Amino acid sequence: MSVVTLDGEILHYEVLGRGRPLIFLHGWVGSWRYWVPTMQAASMGYRAYALDMWGFGESAKRISMYALENQVAMLDQFMDQLGIAKIALIGHGLGALVALSFAARFPRLVDRLMVSSLPLGAGMVNARLKTSPLPELAEWMLGRAPGTDSARVEAPKADPQAVAASLESLQLINSLDVAQGIVTPCLMVFGQNDLVVQAPAQDVLAGLPEQFHSIFFEQAGHFPMLDDPNKFNRLLNDFLALPSGDSPRQLQLKEEWKRRVR
Amino acid sequence: MAKILIAEDERDIRDLIMFTLKFAGYEVIATANGEEAYLRAQVEIPDLILMDVRMPKMTGYEACIKMKEIDAIKNIPVVFLSAKGQDSEVQTGLRVGAAEYILKPFSPDQLTEKVRELLKKQGK
Repeated sequence: MSVVTLDGEILHYEVLGRGRPLIFLHGWVGSWRYWVPTMQAASMGYRAYALDMWGFGESAKRISMYALENQVAMLDQFMDQLGIAKIALIGHGLGALVALSFAARFPRLVDRLMVSSLPLGAGMVNARLKTSPLPELAEWMLGRAPGTDSARVEAPKADPQAVAASLESLQLINSLDVAQGIVTPCLMVFGQNDLVVQAPAQDVLAGLPEQFHSIFFEQAGHFPMLDDPNKFNRLLNDFLALPSGDSPRQLQLKEEWKRRVR
Repeated sequence: MAKILIAEDERDIRDLIMFTLKFAGYEVIATANGEEAYLRAQVEIPDLILMDVRMPKMTGYEACIKMKEIDAIKNIPVVFLSAKGQDSEVQTGLRVGAAEYILKPFSPDQLTEKVRELLKKQGK
């Protein structure tokens, strides 16, 4: 287990591979662990970090650190402490919100952004997220795909107040406005059957900046990386392979591809 | 927690195997060549040894032969990781005492599954 101390509190992370740095940020249910298959797939060409954000997994649990801006500040401190200059940032749900806010605040630190199940507005999140206990949420949000246990078993480790605080933060910011200010290439991924985050309407997506591109996974729910890992990993690798600054609009879902050890 | 010793000279592959097995809940000791694996096996007494065939200093075959000469570790199953299509490697490996072969390329999931299966056979 790898940790850094930020402001006297322990932040847990794991890392795999060598190359340009990527940072994975988890969502409201689970921890760094459900990124493992994605990290494995990316690890031959990149150095893949995955964090437990404040209040989740093995990281410190203190209510004063749970607001969105504190998770954003944590990421900045983490990069600073590890000497990471510029990253590709991949976030899911809550992690997608943190990633988007981070890219808006620190555009020079983010080379590209992949956000999955990003709520573009407080009204896009199912109210159940605010009311149900975490293990119950995990059962509701996760399908029965083989990889989903990694999120299910980690769900009870989170502090429910971390989820509540992030949702309160979401009320205070207009994530659609934040997205309008993003200058980094941004790939948005949505699961067609997502019960937690409602995908934006087509006219909203069409109004996003040129460097944004959206892809829908027809067979996936809230966790496209677990519901359809091979397609997700292929898409991520294709996105990472684009020259820096290129729009992801040329990307599309391709035939399944699986990382293998040669 | 079952203990697995791995020997793989390619750092990226070694890291990926180590990460995959640790995530699956095993204690993992990583070595970079056959000689190191042979020495560490005597100290750590793992439940399973995974070795690449072609490694510097001492190949996987040579390490396996030497391991089978030491009473404390001779019964630990040794599994070779070998490139697909190298049938002669498979035969040589089995002749020097390997319990099994895992053919490359393999996915991390396949590796975990195979390891689980092999440890189950030993009641671990």
